[in-house]
Amino acid sequence: MFLTIDTTDPRPIYQQVADGIKELIAQGKLEEGAALPPVRQLAADLGVNLNTIATAYRELQKDGLIVVKHGSGSVVAARANTERTADELARPLRTAITELVLAGLPTSKILRMVTRELSLVQKESK
Amino acid sequence: MLTHIGQYAVITYVFFWIIRINGCIRRGRQPLLRGPEWFFNVHVQPDFYTGAGRDLLHRYWLRMLIPFAVDIPIAVAIFRSGNLMLLNFLMIALCAIIHINHSYSVDLAERQARPFAVAEAEQPVASVVLSLTPRRMRDYSNPVVEWILALSTVASAALLLRYFFAVPEHHNWRLVFGLPVVYFYLQLGIVWVKRVVVAWRTPVPQAQAAEHLEAREETRKHYLRMCDVYRLSAAAAILFWPAEISMSPDNFDRVFQIWFYGWMVVSIVGTVWVEIRRKQLVKMALRARPVNLPDFLHESKIARWPVCYQPSAPMLMVRGARGYSLNLANTLGYLGAAYMVGFVALIALLRLSR
Repeated sequence: MFLTIDTTDPRPIYQQVADGIKELIAQGKLEEGAALPPVRQLAADLGVNLNTIATAYRELQKDGLIVVKHGSGSVVAARANTERTADELARPLRTAITELVLAGLPTSKILRMVTRELSLVQKESK
Repeated sequence: MLTHIGQYAVITYVFFWIIRINGCIRRGRQPLLRGPEWFFNVHVQPDFYTGAGRDLLHRYWLRMLIPFAVDIPIAVAIFRSGNLMLLNFLMIALCAIIHINHSYSVDLAERQARPFAVAEAEQPVASVVLSLTPRRMRDYSNPVVEWILALSTVASAALLLRYFFAVPEHHNWRLVFGLPVVYFYLQLGIVWVKRVVVAWRTPVPQAQAAEHLEAREETRKHYLRMCDVYRLSAAAAILFWPAEISMSPDNFDRVFQIWFYGWMVVSIVGTVWVEIRRKQLVKMALRARPVNLPDFLHESKIARWPVCYQPSAPMLMVRGARGYSLNLANTLGYLGAAYMVGFVALIALLRLSR
């Protein structure tokens, strides 16, 4: 189970870590109850400040994707129905679509891209 | 009795010298293992070994002789003093000196060679792959070994206590418990080393990630296995001690001889096994092409001395401007420092209570 960090990616490292773990959970590669490495291990492996990884884990915890147990580490949370509203969930999608529209892509191409990304995530999770 | 033990210490010391020859040859060949276009893990320009490279190589070879420069005068002093038992402590210290000297020398040689490296090879890779598998001590511990160690320690302690309280006037506590306590403390030190090995960083480039990870994991497992072998050796020495001190001198000599030569055979077999395994690991490591990884923490700027205090850096060893720097703002750093202080205190206590 690997996480890729790209130095050319404009997203900050903590965001890349959080997004990478989210992706692995969505694809089913990180199953419910799976243990995640301690913050110190991941920070030392990558050679970043402890806070960078701690922030990523906090974001995942806030999203209800992981459970942080003091003393025994973090595990992937059960996939319960989310407490967030549909509007909250749609917000990042809206931001991404705005980016695509501003980039001048036609609607048909945007639709194709969204469909392709969705099928990619679903294919991995099978 | 002690004179005999001193003789065995000399035999062990001679054996230690013989096996070091192979280590010297191996370390001497290390810069050129990847071929003439490499100096350790630095991809150098084609004319490197005809110019500055030759000097760097010679200086590296000279640095490899530092442990001998430390060893020879101390060994001569020990032989002159007649306290041959001290050779055992000299060998333990030399093991640490050899490894530390080697790590620092390789790092220094690589840093000195970087100005002569192929420019594009020096660029850090853009993508780094991280393993999300947690690395915990228990994942790398063998329960059978741990049980053997625990039971043998309890059994030895029980036997020693029984021996100590067997006579009303009691024996000298230092003679009965001194050596086993030192061995036990050394065992604890090896547990600390195991923790350091488990925590050893594993960032790898996206290209050839599988090869890099395999090499790193196999090396980690090899070192951990070696640590367990050393712990078992110390446990065996502790277990044998009650028998040693409670025997009559005639029986002792015979039993000690059997024990010693048995231990020598095990050591020779162990040394051969380590060399075979080391060659396999080198082959594995050579399959993964070395790359420069991005330095997110600007380690060379935050660590300028061999010891540093950097709470922001989660690593025990920071690759600083002048080689590796021991980061004392780290749990393992605290434990290591406390261990060294404890070791000095223990030796002082044992000597004072004579």
